[in-house]
Amino acid sequence: MSDVKEKIRRFIAENFLFGDEEGLKDDTSFLEGGTIDSTGILELVSYLEEEFSITIEDEELIPENLDSINNIEKYLSRKKGDAGRME
Amino acid sequence: MPETHTPPQICSRCILPVTFPGIKLDEAGICNHCRREESLSTKTADKKEAYRVRLDDLIRGIKGKAPVYDAIMAYSGGKDSSYALKLLKERYGLRIIALTFDNHFVSPAAMENIKRITDPLGIDHICFRPPWPFIKELFTLTATQDIFPAPTLLRASSVCTACIGIVKSLVLKTALEMSIPMVAFGWSPGQAPIQSAIMKTNAALIRQTQSAFINAFPADIKGRMTHYLLPEDDYTQYNDRFPHNIHPLAFFPYNEDRIIDELKGLGWHAPEDTDTNSSNCLLNAFANQRHLERHGFHPYVWEIANMVRQGVMPRDQGIEKIYSEQNSHMVQYAKERLEI
Repeated sequence: MSDVKEKIRRFIAENFLFGDEEGLKDDTSFLEGGTIDSTGILELVSYLEEEFSITIEDEELIPENLDSINNIEKYLSRKKGDAGRME
Repeated sequence: MPETHTPPQICSRCILPVTFPGIKLDEAGICNHCRREESLSTKTADKKEAYRVRLDDLIRGIKGKAPVYDAIMAYSGGKDSSYALKLLKERYGLRIIALTFDNHFVSPAAMENIKRITDPLGIDHICFRPPWPFIKELFTLTATQDIFPAPTLLRASSVCTACIGIVKSLVLKTALEMSIPMVAFGWSPGQAPIQSAIMKTNAALIRQTQSAFINAFPADIKGRMTHYLLPEDDYTQYNDRFPHNIHPLAFFPYNEDRIIDELKGLGWHAPEDTDTNSSNCLLNAFANQRHLERHGFHPYVWEIANMVRQGVMPRDQGIEKIYSEQNSHMVQYAKERLEI
């Protein structure tokens, strides 16, 4: 498992599942599974911005980017790719 | 004062019990959540100030630009939403409409409080009341079964989750239909973490959230529940109108006694017929009791523990709120009305 996925998994488990990560798979939908609600998404965003030194825009707060560990990893990868191209 | 029974072993700093899922107490009897908070608390004051500035900026950008209202408030008549309403009106002079979801268990005293707050503040108010047979079925279902995913039930009872889900949907629908750019909630600092206190919503996120909510219900009730959620057309028709959600009590000073004193100045009275964790709902005591029986921890304990940890509520007050016996009259009242 990648380091990024492991960090995200640990954050989700500690902050939303209170340590119980059983059933949290890489493709588990946070919203459908009740792990995070639309309010909790911003706690996740705040963590991602600090941990990965990125800025997440309002229009990027969509399930495609943030609703599972897999989606977040792909999003971060795209984001870093975009940043790399702009440098 | 309600009778406080002997609590189970609880964290010696906040009030989380050893029955709370995932909790770990160290040698000093302090829980893992309190230990994690130690490293974060120094940043909290700065964050609160930053969020007040963000709200000031947001309001500067939207005030007076919408056709009729700047904000819609999800308004229960309880102390927190009353105080948030007062704050938004007096600090910012917003044009606000307040929406109350009458779930047939709103305390008559809370209904009076709604008038006592909205009238002097000059706030328009609407009340939304579904028919009793639907509500009875909804609350009977959620009082007797846990239909929502387990993580949801760490923070609220099934009954509350169903009710709040409808409230969130109704205020959002109204905001979209009336071009209102901001939706306000009176969530306490323990309910709404500061990072989530100001959020621009969007169609994709709300669609997924509403889908998760509706799919929790069995087929026979799902069809009627859809009346209260966003119709599919709204996501495209109002795509550019999705509002900001704000939870101002997450970052403004919060002190329960001071809040009640301020509200009393407007004529608000603390209801005497509700439980220790609600100042508007006559169903809450029963919902709490059912959650305690099924899960072994109080559905408000995460919220209240957060407030104790943040220093916005004294620990003994938190213990009284969580470890008092549920009012047996209120429990019986709800059971009889729901015929459970």
